[in-house]
Amino acid sequence: MSNRTLPRLLQTPAVILLLIWMLVPLSLTLYFSFIRYVLNNLRRPEWTTPSFSNWRGFGNYEFVLNSKDFLLAIQNSLFIVGSILFLTVALGVLIAVMINKAFPGQGIVRVLLISPFFVMPAVNAVLWINMILDPVLGLQGLAVAGINDLIASLQGAPVVGWFFSLWPEIEPISFRATQTSAIAVIIMVTWQWTPFAVLIFMTSLQSEDQQQKEAAVLDGAGTWSQFRFLTLPHLGRPIAIVVMIQAIFHLSLYAEIEIVSRGNGNKNLPYLIGEFANNNIGAASATGIFAVILANIVAIFLLRMIGKTLME
Amino acid sequence: MGRIVLEDVTKSFGESQVIPPLNLTIEDGEFAVFVGPSGCGKSTLLRLIAGLEDTTSGKIVIDNEDATQVPPSKRGLAMVFQSYALYPHMSVRKNIAFPLRMAKMSQSEIDKKVEGAAKILNLADYLEQKPGQLSGGQRQRVAIGRAIVREPAAFLFDEPLSNLDAALRVGMRLEISELHNRLSTTMIYVTHDQVEAMTMADKIVVLRAGNIEQVGSPLDLYHTPRNIFVAGFIGSPKMNIISGPEADKLGATSVGFRPEHTDVSKTEGMWKGRVGVAEHLGSDTFIHVHDTGLADMITVRITGDIAVTHGDDIYLTPQLDKLHKFDADGLRMA
Repeated sequence: MSNRTLPRLLQTPAVILLLIWMLVPLSLTLYFSFIRYVLNNLRRPEWTTPSFSNWRGFGNYEFVLNSKDFLLAIQNSLFIVGSILFLTVALGVLIAVMINKAFPGQGIVRVLLISPFFVMPAVNAVLWINMILDPVLGLQGLAVAGINDLIASLQGAPVVGWFFSLWPEIEPISFRATQTSAIAVIIMVTWQWTPFAVLIFMTSLQSEDQQQKEAAVLDGAGTWSQFRFLTLPHLGRPIAIVVMIQAIFHLSLYAEIEIVSRGNGNKNLPYLIGEFANNNIGAASATGIFAVILANIVAIFLLRMIGKTLME
Repeated sequence: MGRIVLEDVTKSFGESQVIPPLNLTIEDGEFAVFVGPSGCGKSTLLRLIAGLEDTTSGKIVIDNEDATQVPPSKRGLAMVFQSYALYPHMSVRKNIAFPLRMAKMSQSEIDKKVEGAAKILNLADYLEQKPGQLSGGQRQRVAIGRAIVREPAAFLFDEPLSNLDAALRVGMRLEISELHNRLSTTMIYVTHDQVEAMTMADKIVVLRAGNIEQVGSPLDLYHTPRNIFVAGFIGSPKMNIISGPEADKLGATSVGFRPEHTDVSKTEGMWKGRVGVAEHLGSDTFIHVHDTGLADMITVRITGDIAVTHGDDIYLTPQLDKLHKFDADGLRMA
């Protein structure tokens, strides 16, 4: 036995397991995406069992491409993921830098900051859409009503009344409406995932070299320059990690979309797959393959962008 | 110009006072070395001058202006840190240019100054590399380059050589001394290594527990140490210090004599001892002598070679005109 045979033999079970783990679902999805396979069809009962005799070629793909929701789903997927990434990284850096300095109650503030991350996604969505964003009963509705009341009472006031009577009544925003439901999803997921970014950035900030900062102070760098030229480059790697992990997670968002609008005008690819999978497994599988392709494109872009940072 | 005066400067961290009231003047163009064992407050003192720490009380005057409340960047001082503190994400060129960039200098002027500094420090070939790709000595030079381009009133060095290996340290020591000769700018240099202090300084400031034990030129300190602490700290190998009846005979509570000021004979002398370890360096021989009844160990230094081995009997005679006598308080007598 040569030197390498034994280690390879020992690795084999793990490699085989991983291969099965990945290849079986992927092959099945590919297989289903090329045949007619539905869960229930009274006229063509033979389609309800997967079989090569139901071969449809690229028919499922064509069907998905031509369905009215497909383009919207891709756009929405990218819009939601991109917005969440931008917001969580920006807020995460900001908050991490703010709480990195010692202040009284630091421990409690840190624990509180992390806590949103422990809320379940579905619970998070229910809380936000019903208690905060609801245009009548949520905080938003109460706040808008309060402001409107205040303006109405000021309109009758002497001297300044004319000024306030020019103001229109503020309309609360309905986040269940088709145009805004994606924004509601972005808000709630950002709230939930910012702590994750903060946590990672905070640990990284603590490893920042203090002598470098002192050198920068002596070199005449102000707070902003120190942040721009020292802290931000120092955070390059953790930002890359946060972006990668979150991109993977948020391309598969589902619970929030289901709860906010039931996909009404706000679908992403996973949600579209879910809808097709109610009956048309073939179309759902084809969408799944599109999702794999989209994820790969995103991954290539991300790796190009941040790979450099990680390699350094 | 770079005359730095400390007037009654103190520094406390909470309850503990690390620098009791301290007065010191460093003249323009002087190479001053703060030396002392670790924890003696020498780095704190340097950081006070740099402005990285606030004084608890007292005044720091730079070029006849009270700089106590002046922010660090406005004091016109440049500092070289022990860890080099280079900016890891920037190339060598950008590292050196950073203070100029912060000073909003024009790009052409920045380029000129960076090239100039790189030439002085032999860094021209490395300008586009990142600090991580450089050796310790090169990093040190980049840190010095970053200090030079600012044309500061004074350079502050915080143990800049302690992360280098011994051979490189000797080389960098020379380079820094040459740099001082060329720029004739005030330099304040902190080290715990008395060899660095002796070889580089115009003026050595020996510190212990925040107190200045003695200020003077290297040879002043070598020939006339003010107290036992300075006597033991300056010089290598260390001065032998004895007390007891033999010291009384010589007319002092404690008597010090340097290893190189001791005559050695195999046949006769003032004190008899037994050779422990003999270190033959070729040019010199260090002999560690035991069982003299004076101290645990007496070290002597002989120019050239002497044929002694472990266990031999040996006789020592201190050169009486070069004895250092100390009183009961450890202070030098007359």
